[in-house]
Amino acid sequence: MGRYIRRRLITAIPVFFGITLLVFLMVNLAPGTIVDLMGEGASSGADRAALEQALGLDRPLPVRYAGWLAGLLRGELGQSFFYDRPVSRLIAQRVGPSLLLTGSGVALAVVLALPLGILAAWKPRSLWERLASLLSLVSFGVPGFLLCLGGIALFSVTLGWLPTHGMYTFGTFTSLADLLRHLLLPAGVVCLSSLGELVKQTRAACLEALGQDYILTARAKGLSEGAVMVRHAFRGSLVPVLTTILSHIPHILGGSVVVEQIFGWPGMGSLLFSGISQRDYPVVMGVSVVTALTVLLTNLLLDLVYGLADPRVRYGKG
Amino acid sequence: MKKLTVLLLCLVLALPLAACAPSRDATAVVRYGLSNAWDTLMPYNSPSGSNYTRIVCDKLYDRLAYVHADGTLDPRNAAAWESADGGMAVLFFLDEGAAFHDGTPVTAQHWADTIALMTDPDCPALGRSVFNVLAGTDEAGAALPGEALGAEAVDTYTLKLTFKTPTTPEDFLLDRNREFYVLPTHLLEGTDPAEVLELPLWQAPVGSGPLTFVEEIPGSQLTLAANPNYQLGRPGFDLLVITVMDKSNLLPSLIAGDLDYYAFGGNLAADDRQTAEAGGITVLEGTVPNSFYELMLNNERISSSAVRRAIDLALDKQALCLHTAQGLGEPTATDLTPGTAYTSSLTWSRDVEGAMALLEEGGYDGRTYSLACTANRSGLAALMQQQLAQAGITTTIETVDSAALFSGMAEGTYDMAIASHTPGALPLWFTESRFSPGNNIFHVADLTPYTGLISQIKAASDSGARQALVDELQALLARERPFLPLWFGRTLHAQSPTVDNIDYPSSSFSNENVWEWTLQAG
Repeated sequence: MGRYIRRRLITAIPVFFGITLLVFLMVNLAPGTIVDLMGEGASSGADRAALEQALGLDRPLPVRYAGWLAGLLRGELGQSFFYDRPVSRLIAQRVGPSLLLTGSGVALAVVLALPLGILAAWKPRSLWERLASLLSLVSFGVPGFLLCLGGIALFSVTLGWLPTHGMYTFGTFTSLADLLRHLLLPAGVVCLSSLGELVKQTRAACLEALGQDYILTARAKGLSEGAVMVRHAFRGSLVPVLTTILSHIPHILGGSVVVEQIFGWPGMGSLLFSGISQRDYPVVMGVSVVTALTVLLTNLLLDLVYGLADPRVRYGKG
Repeated sequence: MKKLTVLLLCLVLALPLAACAPSRDATAVVRYGLSNAWDTLMPYNSPSGSNYTRIVCDKLYDRLAYVHADGTLDPRNAAAWESADGGMAVLFFLDEGAAFHDGTPVTAQHWADTIALMTDPDCPALGRSVFNVLAGTDEAGAALPGEALGAEAVDTYTLKLTFKTPTTPEDFLLDRNREFYVLPTHLLEGTDPAEVLELPLWQAPVGSGPLTFVEEIPGSQLTLAANPNYQLGRPGFDLLVITVMDKSNLLPSLIAGDLDYYAFGGNLAADDRQTAEAGGITVLEGTVPNSFYELMLNNERISSSAVRRAIDLALDKQALCLHTAQGLGEPTATDLTPGTAYTSSLTWSRDVEGAMALLEEGGYDGRTYSLACTANRSGLAALMQQQLAQAGITTTIETVDSAALFSGMAEGTYDMAIASHTPGALPLWFTESRFSPGNNIFHVADLTPYTGLISQIKAASDSGARQALVDELQALLARERPFLPLWFGRTLHAQSPTVDNIDYPSSSFSNENVWEWTLQAG
């Protein structure tokens, strides 16, 4: 197992640097720089030249990438062009809110999706299955921004139950109830967005498991239907379900760009959005590094969890 | 199943808890929405130089005056001002009650030191060119060695600014007030100018503005507190919480009562008027132009002035204004802001046949021009495309974001682009920065006729002579049409249901009278 992990980590290194190079090229080859946004083209030539020089935008691309990479190897993510602060500090400020928002949204989705998926598989053509289909349809079919605006229109504007934006009423933590009020609507949207895939995956995996011989054996042994479903069918369907759940981890850390932007949530997603729109390359690179690392580590975690979920999975010595 | 029931029960129980809104009795909070982030709290070091940064710095730091949307001026840190040295200087008499947030009185020396520090060639301030009107500075705003800097403390509360050319106090303030802030230089003593921008002070700034710094999540949230000692009065609330959120959520938040105000001036698109009114929001119609729409032209690619004039004649500016602002605006033939001291006799009217004749005269070869616009203006671009097609000009629309649009124009990628700007009251507010060798965004082959007239206008102290030169410049612009002025738009303001005394129109000029804002009781 240890050897397997080492091998996976070593192969992840070139993948990681490959990702950074790709992101660097993409963001730098996109038309426009932060200098073009200076006073919407009205600034003086002297200001523009000074800014280009100060930010190092007058240097060739390979030199800029090498400089950024050297910083990364020293553990530095660079200085934000726009906010003139270390990117690592900006990210550190935003990781917590993103974890809270997307984490709670995905956790809620998991909590709802697993029983709903099992019930939909267990009782076809029942109310559960219809509910699962409806939620999947909404989750897949309605774009995130529409869910956000619809949620605001219903729960904030019409019913007046929940706030439309922000994390706290007074700009800082005052009470858990205040935080919860602000969290419910955006987390609800994240939950709904993730729900469809999870329900569908759980239902499909359970249905597949229900057709297996070991389920027939369990039933023949006289086990109750509930026990067959939860202990055998669900256990047998864990691998694909776990894959789906764990694949949400980078999303949790990386934040949800649309939800955070619309709700004014101070997370990684809104930081990435502002980084892209302001052509703040160090911020885009910083968020990409964090996301890329999370994806690579999640993939490794997935492989390890497979072994725990499915005893048939063995890590080869070769 | 039991566990699921328990879980659902918990969720149902959590809803009423969440629905309990925290009481606002203890702290009077004004919740302020902003659709884009500020970049820095150090006003002279803003990479974007955007109005979003200005509107935030406006609250932490004091400026010399308050500029109303109609161009009238009110005292702020300067209680009064007058011209001196035959129009070459202005004396500002500072309010003796003004103090920094740490209690130190604001003196003329603070202003003089601020300007000396920011113009120091060793100080890497990004917005230094704002000082280039002062004597003793170069074009980039850096102090020239051996020359006296045009910023001097005459006495404790009298600041004298000396200019390179004759400048009236009104001209100076209308042009530069929003970029002149006084810094707490008493906290910067002994700091190397090269390192002054790196001080932690700028992350928790001490200014002398109407609000004091409390907390910041850069790019997302800023909490400010009322400055009880502000010389123009204490704001009528305790805290101002600025949250950056998507534009689409500003009006719903105001209607839902979760925002008290949003910048700039509760700016409302004409299409949203009905929604706002249905939501109980009072809508105020702006009377002063707050936007100027232009069609940027690449003069290198559209090299014939006859073709450029043809494009101008082919466009139905009235219909374009109607489409974009539901008629809240006036088509224009010049970039001179209506209602200001400078006028022009030039008028606009559509003439498709005249356009066709000019196209023939200019030798238009039927080529397809690229027309760049941002996504929110794609409808406007489509309408322009149809109008131009009526005269026989073919275009292809490219939808890009702001950065790509301006860089594309600067690099010559696009032939035309739609842009809008906040207009100014001075005659050169638009032309001066766009007809300079460092920022020749229209790719004009020979800038000399423009720069020559611009210099003469700047140097003219007599208003009659200046108006004559302005006429000459406008006539040149009409002949050459390096860019097309489209219309000046007025905006609608969604009035705050909870905060009184907001000067809505003036906020689009990057200042807000927060010291007069009063949060309604309850």
